[in-house]
Amino acid sequence: MRANTLLVGAAVSALGVLVAMPLGFVLLQAIFPTLAQGSLAQPFSHLARTLSDPVLVELTLNTLKLGACVVLAAAAVGIPLGTLRGLFEVPGARIWDVLMLVPFMIPPYISALGWIMLLQPRGYLQQLLGVHAGPALFSFGGVVFVMTLNVVPVVYFAVSRTMAASGSRLAQVGRVCGGGAWRCFWRITLPLALPGIAASLLLVFAMAIEEYGTPAALAANAGFFVLVTGIERRFSEWPIDLPGASVLSLILVVLAMLAFAWQRRLVKGRGYETTTGKPMRGEAVPLGAWRWPVAGLFAATVAVATFAPLFAIAATAFSRTLSGGLAVDNLSLVHFKAIAAGGSEASRALVTSLALGVGAAAATGLIGVLVAYCVVKTRTRGRVVLDALAVLPNTMPGVVVGVGLILAWNQAFWPATPYNTWGILLLAYCCLLLPYPVRYSHAALMQIGDSLEAAARVHGAGAVTALARILLPLLAPSLGAAMLLVFAVASRELVASLLLAPTGVQTVSLFIWRQFEQGSVGQGMAMSLVTVALTTTLMVVATLWLDRRQGRDV
Amino acid sequence: MMKLKPLMGALALGAMLAAGPVQALTVYTAGPGGLIKQLADDFKKETGIAVDVFQADTGKVMARLEAEASNPKADVVISASWDSALDLDKRGWLLPYASPNAAQVPAAYKGPSYVAQGLSALAIAWNTKSGTPRPADWSDLARPEFKGLVNMPDPAQSGTALELLSGLQSARGDAAWRLFQDLKRNDMAIAGANAQAMNPVLQGAKAAVFGAVDYVALDNQAKGESIEVIFPSSGTVVAGRPMMILKSSRQQQEAKRFVDFVLSDAGQARVAATYLIPARQDVKAKRPMIKDIKTLPMEDDAQRAGRQSLLERFTALFGRK
Repeated sequence: MRANTLLVGAAVSALGVLVAMPLGFVLLQAIFPTLAQGSLAQPFSHLARTLSDPVLVELTLNTLKLGACVVLAAAAVGIPLGTLRGLFEVPGARIWDVLMLVPFMIPPYISALGWIMLLQPRGYLQQLLGVHAGPALFSFGGVVFVMTLNVVPVVYFAVSRTMAASGSRLAQVGRVCGGGAWRCFWRITLPLALPGIAASLLLVFAMAIEEYGTPAALAANAGFFVLVTGIERRFSEWPIDLPGASVLSLILVVLAMLAFAWQRRLVKGRGYETTTGKPMRGEAVPLGAWRWPVAGLFAATVAVATFAPLFAIAATAFSRTLSGGLAVDNLSLVHFKAIAAGGSEASRALVTSLALGVGAAAATGLIGVLVAYCVVKTRTRGRVVLDALAVLPNTMPGVVVGVGLILAWNQAFWPATPYNTWGILLLAYCCLLLPYPVRYSHAALMQIGDSLEAAARVHGAGAVTALARILLPLLAPSLGAAMLLVFAVASRELVASLLLAPTGVQTVSLFIWRQFEQGSVGQGMAMSLVTVALTTTLMVVATLWLDRRQGRDV
Repeated sequence: MMKLKPLMGALALGAMLAAGPVQALTVYTAGPGGLIKQLADDFKKETGIAVDVFQADTGKVMARLEAEASNPKADVVISASWDSALDLDKRGWLLPYASPNAAQVPAAYKGPSYVAQGLSALAIAWNTKSGTPRPADWSDLARPEFKGLVNMPDPAQSGTALELLSGLQSARGDAAWRLFQDLKRNDMAIAGANAQAMNPVLQGAKAAVFGAVDYVALDNQAKGESIEVIFPSSGTVVAGRPMMILKSSRQQQEAKRFVDFVLSDAGQARVAATYLIPARQDVKAKRPMIKDIKTLPMEDDAQRAGRQSLLERFTALFGRK
């Protein structure tokens, strides 16, 4: 029991430092408007002023509508693809995995810009085919379309890993007992994958209500605004209104908590334990004649989600000028040369970002398993609070979490502080991205029977040994996917980085942002392309290495 | 608990590194990109004082200052919004300092505790291949040829766009509002911050930016984009980028030397190289200077104070929330 107490203690303190502290300061800031000046005067005076804004109801409803539509669309694309990938022998499965991850590595503002340059009047599509899709893109539908493509990987990986873990054994039992193939899928396989589906859709919802750039760029002129618009405005319009932004963030938190409660209800009261130690034929089912149609489906998805924005990015990066358009004499390496000329700066930014990405993936992976284990496998009191706490950061705009981190760590009473070092960026990324490993591990742990751990304990293994030797290997596919997502986001995170970057430290996202700020769209796009290529290569290498290791262990 | 050790170790190490060399000067600045790096390098070469830079957009710079208020880190702040300097000054955060090098800076662009680093004019950025007639004044963009083809940076996000809005209203009163109404009727789009308004014009989706920051557009033009920067015939606003020293600075002497340096011949030459108008009028630049541009009358304090309601009226006119 002592080991369990230790594990719970570690989880609580990690969540406390990473999440509760910065978010607690956001809450305090919402209550005490002059907190930043070190004063607790006039508590609650800001609440009424912020909440009396007449458009708040409309903005909240718009936010909910956007969140719901993106969740539905992401489910419609991600669940079928994830199911196919998890249960069947899809030709080129590994390649699709990597390509599905690419949209996640492209920062949302760049992918939105890519789509704009592709589809707007006189955009690349019109230059190539003579048609444009301006009206469709600059609308609510356009926002849902672009955001869905950005978040589909979250659903795809969760569903495919969950499906693969529960396997088709129980569905086969259903078949033997006379159920039809579809009936068995609907009644057995799909319900068993519910934890993974629900967890990933919760993440998608949180991402959708927190995203600023895409709705602002695509739908503002169509008159569609969301809550985050108000938060961002409080950061750009003079005077800066930190307490107001904090109050609005708390509305986002409430929305996310409702989604969290709904997700718990959905999953509650049923058993999902399919990994029980019974011999199970893990291999995927051959698709037979369906191989090529299925491969075609994957290719079509990847063509739209991955290659369309990448094309726009590459076209811009290789064009001397934007106004020159797609023309042979406008082809140029000038933007790449400019990056190479500032070589040391660009490569230092790359190294910083990649290191921070790896660090964040490792730290959140570790803490994520710990938290999920405490929530799912122990009977700790208040574990729901731990679970809820681990959803929160995902629902707050990065800039608000950034302010919370400054307030938390820039206090004179700390003898030493990570503030103004790269440590603060690591803390920020860990805070913002912890939800991925927690939700993925949570879903995976629900599938693992308690009997396995009990068997290990009976044979004399301690809690830590059982965790390391039994649970972790079983968790590895889900956890690995979540850590890849964390790495992808952390290596390109912009908003919190922009606010928190220590003096003199440059990350890739800041480098790219600076190019845009100077009006060098081409250079920004060139750097994005280099980064995506590099991160993709690294991830392919990591996946291959893990595959080989796993192969050896078996 | 063991699992947390590496993280804590990393944090402690980070904190130790943070202490760093004591005498480095900390500068918080809004764009343009390469300028601050060159200024910092030159300054270090000349004085031996290292400069640590934090660079973001004006909103983030101010948010960071605000969040750090109880334990300030910055010595010098360079913003892209003149209002931010006036406000910080009113709150008593700024150190009064009149740099000897500021003598040639026009009186409108300096105060007791702030001085312009450089200036930029708000202009029309027009795509020469757009098939539209060359606009000469703001009102041309309300003509039918430009229907649906004009972008304007959002004054709620771009301090310079707000300066233009406010300048036009102060100079022309109701006539300015008739212009905005005509532009609205002509389907002018409000498009995020400055860069977001510019990109569609470069690609040709739009024909012109109403209120483009001129130095970015001039730089685009120099790089071969088919863009022309037009200073409207009826006058425009020239916005200063204020530079100020925080009272809380523990290195005020070094901070003053930095301000002196930015306003020196060498520093102003760096500013001019980015196509900004140098703050000092006796420094040459490869672009039109203030005297070459027809400007609107400067605003007084009362007019500046009315900006919040101005912004609300504009926001309502264009249906933004």
